[in-house]
Amino acid sequence: MASKATKPDYEALRELFRPHIDSFNYFIDEGLEKALLSIRPVEVSDPSTGGKLRIYFENPQVFHPVREGRITTTKGRITEALYPHECRQARTTYKGEFKVTICLQYNERQPVQTPMSFGHLPIMLRSRLCHLKDADPQKLIFHKEEATEMGGYFICNGLERLGRLLIVPKRNYPMGMIRSSFRSRGVGYSDKAVVIRCVREDQSSVTVKLYYLQNGSARLGFWIRGREFLLPVGIVLKALIDTSDREIFVSLTCCYNDRYQKQRGAVGSQIIGERAQIILEEVRDLSLLTSSQCLKHIGEYFRPVMDGFENEFHTTVAEAVLRDYVFVHLTRNHDKFNLLIFMLQKLYALVDQTVAPDNSDALQNQEILLPGHLITIYVKEKVQDWLNKSRRQLLDELAKKEKNLQISMVHQVAKFLNRNAASVGRSVESMIKLGRLTTSSSLDLPQREGMTIQAERLNFYRFLSHFRSVHRGASFAKMRITSVRKLLPESWGFLCPVHTPDGEPCGLLNHMTSTCCISSFYDSEGKVKDFLKIRMSIMTVLVGVGMTPLLPKLERAGPPVVLHVLLDGCVVGSIASSKVEKAVAHIRSLKLSSLSGVPNDLEVGYVPLSLGGTYPGLYLFTSPSRFIRPVRNISHSSDSNLNIELIGPFEQAFMEIRCADGGDGGRRESFPATHEEIHPTGILSVVANLTPWSDHNQSPRNMYQCQMAKQTMGFSAQALQFRADVKSYHLQTPQSPIVRTASYSKYCMDEFPTGTNAIVAVLAYTGYDMEDAMILNKSSVDRGLCRGHIYQTESIDLTKNHDREDRVLEIFARSSEKTMKSSIDSDGLPYIGQVIHPNEPLYSSYNTLTSVTKPTRLKGSEPVIIDYVTVDGTTSKNYMQKVNIRTRRTRYPIIGDKFSSRHGQKGVCSQLWPDIDMPFSAVTGMRPDLIINPHAFPSRMTIGMLLESIAAKGGSLHGKFVDATPFQNSVSEKDEDRPSKSSTLVDELGPMLASYGFNYHGVEVLYSGVFGTELTCEIFIGPVYYQRLRHMVSDKFQVRSTGTVDQITRQPIGGRKRGGGIRFGEMERDSVLAHGAAYLLHDRLHSCSDYHIAEVCSFCGSVLTASVIQPQKRAVREIHGLPPARTPKSYTCHACKTSKGMETVAMPYVFKYLAAEMAAMNIKMELQLSNRAGSGG
Amino acid sequence: MDPQPEPVSYICGDCGAENTLKPGDVIQCRECGYRILYKKRTRRIVQYEAR
Repeated sequence: MASKATKPDYEALRELFRPHIDSFNYFIDEGLEKALLSIRPVEVSDPSTGGKLRIYFENPQVFHPVREGRITTTKGRITEALYPHECRQARTTYKGEFKVTICLQYNERQPVQTPMSFGHLPIMLRSRLCHLKDADPQKLIFHKEEATEMGGYFICNGLERLGRLLIVPKRNYPMGMIRSSFRSRGVGYSDKAVVIRCVREDQSSVTVKLYYLQNGSARLGFWIRGREFLLPVGIVLKALIDTSDREIFVSLTCCYNDRYQKQRGAVGSQIIGERAQIILEEVRDLSLLTSSQCLKHIGEYFRPVMDGFENEFHTTVAEAVLRDYVFVHLTRNHDKFNLLIFMLQKLYALVDQTVAPDNSDALQNQEILLPGHLITIYVKEKVQDWLNKSRRQLLDELAKKEKNLQISMVHQVAKFLNRNAASVGRSVESMIKLGRLTTSSSLDLPQREGMTIQAERLNFYRFLSHFRSVHRGASFAKMRITSVRKLLPESWGFLCPVHTPDGEPCGLLNHMTSTCCISSFYDSEGKVKDFLKIRMSIMTVLVGVGMTPLLPKLERAGPPVVLHVLLDGCVVGSIASSKVEKAVAHIRSLKLSSLSGVPNDLEVGYVPLSLGGTYPGLYLFTSPSRFIRPVRNISHSSDSNLNIELIGPFEQAFMEIRCADGGDGGRRESFPATHEEIHPTGILSVVANLTPWSDHNQSPRNMYQCQMAKQTMGFSAQALQFRADVKSYHLQTPQSPIVRTASYSKYCMDEFPTGTNAIVAVLAYTGYDMEDAMILNKSSVDRGLCRGHIYQTESIDLTKNHDREDRVLEIFARSSEKTMKSSIDSDGLPYIGQVIHPNEPLYSSYNTLTSVTKPTRLKGSEPVIIDYVTVDGTTSKNYMQKVNIRTRRTRYPIIGDKFSSRHGQKGVCSQLWPDIDMPFSAVTGMRPDLIINPHAFPSRMTIGMLLESIAAKGGSLHGKFVDATPFQNSVSEKDEDRPSKSSTLVDELGPMLASYGFNYHGVEVLYSGVFGTELTCEIFIGPVYYQRLRHMVSDKFQVRSTGTVDQITRQPIGGRKRGGGIRFGEMERDSVLAHGAAYLLHDRLHSCSDYHIAEVCSFCGSVLTASVIQPQKRAVREIHGLPPARTPKSYTCHACKTSKGMETVAMPYVFKYLAAEMAAMNIKMELQLSNRAGSGG
Repeated sequence: MDPQPEPVSYICGDCGAENTLKPGDVIQCRECGYRILYKKRTRRIVQYEAR
């Protein structure tokens, strides 16, 4: 290590994967325990004895992944650590055992605790339970991983899968919504509602909707087991706490005051009093007066759907409903009551249009679903399912006549329960493997499929982008409306405006910016946050800045006099609107200091008073899984490190953040900026950040580059020889770009470079560069420009060829034939390093039942080289049955391969031009590696590419890398000694070239390589970083002259794999027809397709009735000793019983087929034959 | 099936020790007990197209 002065620092890279790993760590540290303890104990009673058995959980634990170690004679089998590399090779799952202590309590006896295995749970790489957690690069390399290995994904059957980051509504924030679908809830429902997604401590959620009825009342709706239940809001209000009609009335109407009518921020209206009366009357009409009556009413209503409450009182059922389904993020009923009042006030304000509805498509009202939280929810659901199922099975077993099971014999019960406990682990594994949730309830999640995706390692950018991508939800992909896809200003700084694919998922699949993070359960020191403590300290701060706590029930006022303060969806008090701005500034300053007890990622959503805007209030969020990003707080100390504040999208909309370019951003004097962006590139994703001078390009070009960067053939992996990816593309001779952005070195992209610095000349030299075609220098290619390989791993498991029942043993072996020995080794596997051509045997296997050795041949049309062969003994104990064979295909650049610069300028290689015929420079004699057409520039306006060429030329002459970070002139200049702002980039780059004797503008005098004459104009030439894209002709070309035809129609088949042709379709037909090229059309569609000579009977006009008459004369010829001559086949019409009318007609075979199909439907098709054209029918 | 297949050499994926296996042998490194083995590169002459 002494030779290398600085170790590469991968922390910035690792930080990008934090949300995944942190959320899984939370699942292990806390989520699992919280989820299992929140499951209600189940009671089973024996019908004969009346004994009761209580089942509940304790102490859930997940263990490190282990495998069976070697056999030692003394101890037997011991376990050893299982490392991810082995799972990838052996196509197994990286999983650890999941154990829970089950407590069985019979009657009131001492509970018996039995540890039980619930199967295995997949373990996220580099999470707390992974063996590679906190491993340094050296250790990672020792365990055959990349030095940079970031983790964050699972390995399931050898495939790397990661949880999809999904956008879900912001938790614990009541959102006003207008949806026409709300009307369909029933008669009298309007399209307005206030919706709140409440999240429990274990991350499971219940969405509660408060609908507005046309008569002025409201209904509270929530889903239980796939059905929505609607309750009159008055009943819920009364059931929650012991209250009086007056209290409800006063709390509801307090937000209205005559004095402030139509004033800024007034939300109440006059009719609120009448509405409150309607609500109260509704309850009175049901003759429910007291709290207990309401509870009884609710209990009666919900008894059928609540499990495990068969023997409880109505009130207990009702309390359970209120606890488990209504505002589940709150525990105290008083808080729930207050929140419901608040929501009602917001609903009425929404109806009276004194506030605007919240936009559910804006990032302001959204948060993210993290993989660890999803697993927590899923495990809870699965354990709950298991418990319910086990209870049913126990009851069935007890109901049986012959009693095998005694409920009092607790150990017997434990044994019984253990039978299908492993199903929990299995279903979690299959969820990660398939991304599909198989649950009875929807779990309040937006979708059931596509929860996980595969992490493709095509190149590093693609791999990294998977972890930074955020999906809006699969249900929006099918919708025709485009409003969800819009780029909204709310996502500024959180989602990259450039990095989204175009086409179908455009705007739905976004990527987080490089600075965006997700708030987590862990504080900066890595400890699990204690939210209770945090809330307590925030409360004291709030009271300190002038908030009136709610608890002594004062008669409250509403906006605009005071603002409600909501802390994580709990109404904690109110603050005078005159004091609130000072208070917010104070809380923000406390966020910056670590000792204040206020967490640094607290979201201070201060919604100011407005006319018809968002419902005003002070909304504080401490919760995890919110988007956060750093900005500089300039109202605080000027010390640059201490004033970095983390803000969320909710508060951002109401904050004054200026860009660091020195301008005011159109801000008026009355609203001075309080915050400042750290760097303008913070709005771009990691991949978008790598485009040099992207601020000089037309914006769609930058989007194209983001997509193309992800399909570039790059240096796939440093641990390539240990990897067993099904397919990986590898560039053998990559280079580091001369022109690079600051993020390139920040994220250590040099570990996985993706291109080559090619000398690019922009000229029209040959005719072969039209329409984005480009010419490669043949000698450059021969010297290794853009050389690549495709590595493909085939996993062969011979046990999978047969069913488990028939027990046929198949092993790898070579047959004794001589021909096989050339390509197959004596173990039945190929030789390493050998070239195998298509249709040559790749491996051979021996079936012990039939004693047949059968070779399996190589498919495809190109030769492969055997790269490695591994044999795997982890599953089958004795025989060689499972192997991985990795093959390598050469992919040197040929005509038709696709290349692209980093500016969305893609092109196809049209010629490999000989070096001697390339133009050469008058001064240096250099020939370009690549020639592109100048027409690529005017309409696309990718000035960045021209700048890159000039800069790279200067940089390579100078021997230095050039910084091409975009928006350099928008950074405040106090710390940099940059030349004055008026100078353009060219004024910086030009002199650099000129100082080395080159032209200021990057052009050079070139001579024609063919004629040796000077080209009439100077040519723009310089190095540009070129990427080779993975779309290569060798994988795509499709030609055929004759070949297989379809069985039924006798037309050529389709599909490249099967040797089919390309369809000459309707549109092609139309254009040929329009040209009047009738002969060509006939040739394509008839002669070269299903040309057929049919025998048609001219009497009955049928194509189907012809039958062959066997010639009788053959015998005569044979007597004379003559060879049998080919007599023309003669036909007879089966229907007319004569051969007189038979004619031969050329027609497409499908026509005959059509006639047969129609005949099958009892439709006769008749042809009328005639010799003259046009006289027929 | 070959009547007397000659043994083939493999290299352990963990410790790198060379193992020579005959058909029917347990697939496991004799040194460390690791169960994934890499086949050794052939000693035969292989010819590639150098283009």
